[in-house]
Amino acid sequence: MSAERSETTDPAAVIEAYFAAGYTDGLPVVPPTDKSIADTLAAAGLRGDQVLGEIPSRNTVITAEKAAVNAVMAGCRPEYFPVVVAAIRGLCRPEFAYHGPASSTGGSAMVLIVNGPVAAALGINSGNNAFGQGHRPNATIGRAVRLTMMNVMNTRPGVLDRAVFGNPGKYSFCFAENEADHPWAPLHTTRGFASDRSTVTVYASNSLYQVYNQLAATPEPLLLCVASALANLGSPNLKGFNESLVVLAGEHTAVLRDSGWSRRDVQQFLVEHARLRLADAKRAARLPGDVTPADETTWRRLFEAPEDILIVCAGGRAGSWSACLPGWGKKWTRSVTIPVEGAIP
Amino acid sequence: MKIFDPTASPKSRELELPPAPARLEGARLMLVENTKFNSETLLRKLAERLGRKHGTTVSGVHRKRSPSHEIEEGVVPALQRQGDLVISGIGD
Repeated sequence: MSAERSETTDPAAVIEAYFAAGYTDGLPVVPPTDKSIADTLAAAGLRGDQVLGEIPSRNTVITAEKAAVNAVMAGCRPEYFPVVVAAIRGLCRPEFAYHGPASSTGGSAMVLIVNGPVAAALGINSGNNAFGQGHRPNATIGRAVRLTMMNVMNTRPGVLDRAVFGNPGKYSFCFAENEADHPWAPLHTTRGFASDRSTVTVYASNSLYQVYNQLAATPEPLLLCVASALANLGSPNLKGFNESLVVLAGEHTAVLRDSGWSRRDVQQFLVEHARLRLADAKRAARLPGDVTPADETTWRRLFEAPEDILIVCAGGRAGSWSACLPGWGKKWTRSVTIPVEGAIP
Repeated sequence: MKIFDPTASPKSRELELPPAPARLEGARLMLVENTKFNSETLLRKLAERLGRKHGTTVSGVHRKRSPSHEIEEGVVPALQRQGDLVISGIGD
């Protein structure tokens, strides 16, 4: 393991040394030690030289040791590391197609959705402020993944990360699904995992778009708002093959639970209503060509299939909010769900 | 205290690059299009200019799965067989 010895024992000076070396995301890091790195590797049952994955287009190999150093720097406790490892393995899956979402001008956040017993065991927040600050595992697991992307996978702003704006979720975006207050089965069970299995779903997302509706007492008006958020003229991909994430919070979850609609019903409704008229898309120069009379009554759906809309429950119980997180197009990148290996603490 | 290096360099690998064509005159072009909006337009315009200036011809266009994905391994030999020169671009 490459390391330089610093003469100083002043913690602030050591933190400054990490800044000076260009190793941080702009926030101070926790200086690793031999012990903290070893503890982190041990928590996942990994040797330092074990390969977690590769990004062939970047000739990049991610070893457990480098990931552990970044996890310690991010502020992770050792027991968080198996979740970090699962997320990194997800980034390396061919269907995730890392290079596009990691480097695109759209500037995606790598959203990590944690399911199964590990979420409660680590205290990963799924409730109030699920996307926000205040919970160490949420803040540091996502940060560990981003630091690994920067430092190991060469995803540095302005170099192989060409985000025009980026978004705050690029510091960290990790939350747990609220499995206890869910109208349906949790996300990972729809992807072939047993409910008692712990997983991380990795999803490349554009910026968060909150959807408000305080009056809807039935699914249709509520979901029309969600569909509108998924399919507006500024949506990144109007080609018709999106994958998007919809996160339903308490009051909206209750409306859907009380309605008796299934997850599939919700997804199907959104597929049918997340659409734009060709005429509008052409007038806005989001599609090429002149507007024809037929375009006024021709609709383009933004999703091909119900399973292209990931439905997740999280967030606070009070408040009439849900969230849409548009993706990049399923032909370019697909979300992946990876099991968390190792004992749950 | 130790300052640990959290970075990793890309692993090196041997690449066998064919010699660049000595002349463009009469060369066969293969275009690799990555599905971005103007990718094919850009590549074809470029090919047209090369054709006018150097008499090159387009011998084929390969459409990648997406801009995110690498070119499929099995396609490379076909590109080598059918073209003297491969042009790829991103457009957009």
